[in-house]
Amino acid sequence: MSQIRRDWVSKTSAGAILGFSLAIALAGLFAWLSPGGLATPNKFQLVMWLIAPIWLTTLSMCFFFSSGMRAWLWLGGVNLLAYAGLFACRLLLL
Amino acid sequence: MRSDVVRLYKVVHTWTGITAGMFLFIAFYAGSITVFAEPLARWVSSPAPVRLTALARSDELIAHTLAARPDAAKEFTLHLGETEDLWARLTWRKGKDDRTPWSAELSPEGDLRLAQSYRSSLADFVDNIHRTAGIPGANDIGETIMGVVSAVYAVALVSGLIIVLPSLVKDLFALRITPNLKRMWLDAHNVVGVVSLPFHIVIALSAVVFCLHEPLYDALDYVVYDGRLKSIMAASNPFNSIKKDERPAPMLPVNTLLERVKAASPSFVPTEMRYRSAGLRGASVQVWGYDTRYMTRGKGFAVISPVTGEIANTDYLPGREGTWTGVVATFFALHFATFGGDVVRVCYFLLGIAGAFLFYSGNLLWIESRRRTERRNGGPVNQKTSTRLMSAATVGVCFGAICAISITIVAAKWLNGRVANIDVWHNGVYYAVFLASVLWSFLRGAAAAGVELLWLAAIAAAAIPFTSLFSWASPALGMQGSASMAALGVDLVALSAALCFVWMARSAAHRVQYGPADSVWAASHRQLQEAAR
Repeated sequence: MSQIRRDWVSKTSAGAILGFSLAIALAGLFAWLSPGGLATPNKFQLVMWLIAPIWLTTLSMCFFFSSGMRAWLWLGGVNLLAYAGLFACRLLLL
Repeated sequence: MRSDVVRLYKVVHTWTGITAGMFLFIAFYAGSITVFAEPLARWVSSPAPVRLTALARSDELIAHTLAARPDAAKEFTLHLGETEDLWARLTWRKGKDDRTPWSAELSPEGDLRLAQSYRSSLADFVDNIHRTAGIPGANDIGETIMGVVSAVYAVALVSGLIIVLPSLVKDLFALRITPNLKRMWLDAHNVVGVVSLPFHIVIALSAVVFCLHEPLYDALDYVVYDGRLKSIMAASNPFNSIKKDERPAPMLPVNTLLERVKAASPSFVPTEMRYRSAGLRGASVQVWGYDTRYMTRGKGFAVISPVTGEIANTDYLPGREGTWTGVVATFFALHFATFGGDVVRVCYFLLGIAGAFLFYSGNLLWIESRRRTERRNGGPVNQKTSTRLMSAATVGVCFGAICAISITIVAAKWLNGRVANIDVWHNGVYYAVFLASVLWSFLRGAAAAGVELLWLAAIAAAAIPFTSLFSWASPALGMQGSASMAALGVDLVALSAALCFVWMARSAAHRVQYGPADSVWAASHRQLQEAAR
């Protein structure tokens, strides 16, 4: 197995930026897909609470990627999927 | 776990920890005290004993007040408690930040007595230090910085866990008190960190939310809600649950409203009623209170119409929340220790102090790992500038905050009622003591300053029960010494804290004199001798 690369800047930025956008998207998917849909009163608070754990778990774990490049590619890919889901919700459920 | 991964995460843990450590120390120490904000408010209470209007005469009091001062109808509060931190039965203020609220009382003869007085809360001041770690400036600046600090703290937690995982079973319950002091501090740091990990995860994540919820909502609104979040929030707002209606209407008695709330939730204990638009058909009353049977977000409340007596909203009434507010209330409760009563509060207090220890010991380990040790034949050593500065900062900031909070508490009691604007004094005393301590620590060096500041911390903490003694012994001082269990609890905790600080000061002094000389913790003349040898 190859040595893990440090890549501080690229890994940290991937975790902080892509982790945040991923958290927003997943929280958004929860808002759309949980009972009642987007406009349910009082749900928005729980939706907002979901961001911090998703974002910070991603940021904390992203140093496991063997390189910064892989972190950006993987997290970028997951982001694409999540935003595709969000876009689909907007098209299909609105 | 691969060793190269662990090595990587050690670096992550070191730098996240050292960045966030001192902010978190202050936040945790002040937060532990904030758990007991109410006893603290009662301890400091008003300079003169107050006789509150009897609760049974509340309706009379409200009617008289509204007749004399129609401007109070917009929003006023009826306080239902009898504790010594209350200064009037009925109060109203112009806006949220009005520091000079009006109050109304009835004399025994039934005459209305109105007064306007400057009000400030020591407990709120300590809470602000908790939320901003004492970062000066507007609160939102400090809170935003602390939001980022909390995010860094979350990363420090996960990385710390990853580091200890491979040797968790072997090392967890080992506290190796051997000549290798670094090993002992590391064992203590690890066991406290692992045992209180769930608490720390909850606090880190919820602190990020509390500090950064506005930008998070903005991001959600932009990406997910398409600008509709404001209207969803307005539709969810419990204060909008009674429609505006400006036709005059008589109001039901206070007791009837309280009975209706009791019927809705028998275990709920109301503490205050906030009236809005009193005397109009669209009036509302928020009945605030607590309920130890449920996990609640601080105090909970029900919104009731004082005209019809119908309960309009229970989204924030403990045990009666809907699914969504109920789940979120749990998160709040887990941060604020608003569940399970005093037992949980004591646990949170201890966990908070243990957290402060965790960050302090983390800094010690940072310093210790960079220590230049004298090898058997390597000759004398001089400690690095970085560890000198870090040890001075750690001692100055951590003990400075401890001293500053105690002295602010004592000063608040002595100054209460004697100065015009006590908020200015809270700030002045806190920052003067804190900055002087930090300066002192850099001037004197960590070793000497550590001992001296610990003695100051002991004296300052002991001054809290002594202030109570003075106020009981000498009524001429004009300080109302409270004899309630809550206030006595503050005195007792402060006294035991003082004893702890004495013990710490004595062991720190011992280390200065007799500890290894090749350390930032040795007396400076011993370090000089060491370097010159």
